Amino acid sequence: MSNLLSVEKLTMKFGGLVAIDDLSFDAKNNQITSIIGPNGAGKTTVFNCLTGFYKPTTGQMYLHQADNKVSLRKYTDFKIAHVAKVARTFQNIRLFPAMSVLENLLVAQHNELMIASGYSLYGLLNLKSYRDKEQLAVNKAKYWLDIIGLTHRADDNAGDLPYGDQRKLEIVRAMCIEPKLLCLDEPAAGLNPKESAELNKLLKFIKTEKKTGILLIEHDMSVVMGISDHVVVLNYGKKIFEGTAEQTKKSKEVIEAYLGVDE
Amino acid sequence: MEKQDIIKSFKDSLFTGLIALALFGPIVGLRTASKGEGLFITPQWGVVFLLVGLCIVGRFLININSARRTEFKIFSTLTSKFSSITKDKAKHFAITGILFAVVFPFLPFTDRYFMDVAIMILTYIMLGWGLNIVVGLAGLLDLGYVAFYAVGAYSYALIATTFGWSFWICLPLAGLFAAFFGILLGFPVLRLRGDYLAIVTLGFGEIIRIILINWYEVTNGPDGITGIPRPSFFGLPFKRSPDEGEMSFHTFFGLEYSTMHRIIFLYYLILVLALITNYFTLKIRKLPVGRAWEALREDEIACKSLGVNPTNTKLTAFAIGAMFGGFAGSFFATRQAFISPESFTFIESAIIVAIVVLGGMGSQTGVVLASIFLIGITEIFRDLEQYRMIAFGGAMVLIMVFKPKGILANRKPTILMHGDKK
Repeated sequence: MSNLLSVEKLTMKFGGLVAIDDLSFDAKNNQITSIIGPNGAGKTTVFNCLTGFYKPTTGQMYLHQADNKVSLRKYTDFKIAHVAKVARTFQNIRLFPAMSVLENLLVAQHNELMIASGYSLYGLLNLKSYRDKEQLAVNKAKYWLDIIGLTHRADDNAGDLPYGDQRKLEIVRAMCIEPKLLCLDEPAAGLNPKESAELNKLLKFIKTEKKTGILLIEHDMSVVMGISDHVVVLNYGKKIFEGTAEQTKKSKEVIEAYLGVDE
Repeated sequence: MEKQDIIKSFKDSLFTGLIALALFGPIVGLRTASKGEGLFITPQWGVVFLLVGLCIVGRFLININSARRTEFKIFSTLTSKFSSITKDKAKHFAITGILFAVVFPFLPFTDRYFMDVAIMILTYIMLGWGLNIVVGLAGLLDLGYVAFYAVGAYSYALIATTFGWSFWICLPLAGLFAAFFGILLGFPVLRLRGDYLAIVTLGFGEIIRIILINWYEVTNGPDGITGIPRPSFFGLPFKRSPDEGEMSFHTFFGLEYSTMHRIIFLYYLILVLALITNYFTLKIRKLPVGRAWEALREDEIACKSLGVNPTNTKLTAFAIGAMFGGFAGSFFATRQAFISPESFTFIESAIIVAIVVLGGMGSQTGVVLASIFLIGITEIFRDLEQYRMIAFGGAMVLIMVFKPKGILANRKPTILMHGDKK
């Protein structure tokens, strides 16, 4: 299977603190790659580097497309999502709570709709071409809402949804930008076992049906072991292990990192 | 309600009285009067005790009210009922309001004074609607909005007096200038939010005012600009005796000359300008850029993660908000025929922000109600002279106590999947 993302010798320093130390790993197309590790291992920092919120001190990150590779270092801020098509969710949910569920999903399609509305000009004139495009965007939103079973709540405020539904909504909102790579930061945090199982189903659907590569940070081992094709283990900013879920479970280094060394 | 609660709220209100005494004592109690030569202090303890007493009773009532919400909540039920009526019949309410505004000049009790107040209220409604784009939708707290009002007024005045162009050419130019200044302000403050943004915009407002005072060669400094052309009715001036070979409004329509003609024309002018602002805001709110503004207000980081360009989004909000401020400024200039930096002090910005916040952030009808309420109150208490700001402050306190989210604070989604269920 071909590589989707290669991280090469990534280092991120905050002053004297080395948050990520010479990290290299690959994520493959149509696979779920999990990044696990104890608290403070630097997992979220990796995400922030990948999605343009931090500029790494040294190192490269490449996104492989059909025939060329794109350096993610070149893009900062919103361009990561807009141009490089890397989407992400956040550890603490970041929906637009006072906007409706449908509006949340339409904001994710902002750039296409902006062009369709002629930078607001056609929209103000209420041209049919814009109304059609808007209807397409609504249909896309409905498609995703049907999948997570929230269509009946489309017009409610996103902030009024139960916690588990908010998590799922944040994931499908990220999917609305049609990403090549989807980065999920602890999507199962705070979910009960039933909701975790539903999340697994959704992620598998995205992987197989949408052919989107998923990068996952997770503490919930039932999720990690259940769906990961590949696991990267970090501790103190360094990669200490890489392998399949089964191999990870048996790895001595990983057990030591989580449980400590026997005296 | 427990006895303890009553004692507690009583103590609290006595403490409030103490603070009030400390404040009102020197400010109101000791009045300086000049008799013959030199200043003398005349104490006014009666007024002080009246004010302190009012504070104690008011605080006590507020305490009791919040302690027993269920038993004593006349005001809040009244307002919530009012909100529910307007929520269901928002459209009827708006149409009735507009119809009333259209026939207002011809109602029997309408005289010159009422018309002036109505024009003033409409100007503030327009400013409130303009600022609502920046504060209510995009969530950027702008305390220097009066700067754009000033830019609009001065651009209009300078263009009209220098080139002698008509109102309808100067108006869009003034709007463009104001929008340009909006972008100028927008660039340095892109990274700022909340309190910090408020401070910088406050400074920007003052900078513009100080430039207007000191740039004597262009703005004529504190003396202001006089002789700004009055608007004409599509080329027909409102003059008692038109120049040779020219028609004026009353001769063209064969009417008796009256100064009211111009007032009524100005009234309709600002009504139309305000309604355009409203229509534009309602429309653009439902477009992608409007949704991006609201999303930016909700969560800027999430916006970036979805590929929304925060720079452009903020700048458009500043520019469009400023443009409507500029339109209102041109109207102000042509109505007054005289402008000076004194008209664009911070208190104007404060009033406009108060109108937006008290009306309920983002609510168009709320802005109308808050303008009528706040401007109306200061007009009613005009006889009290300097004390009328107390009435203004009192009105704000009342709204904030009973409706902390503003008079009308319900947001309707910009697009519905299932249609209107009500």
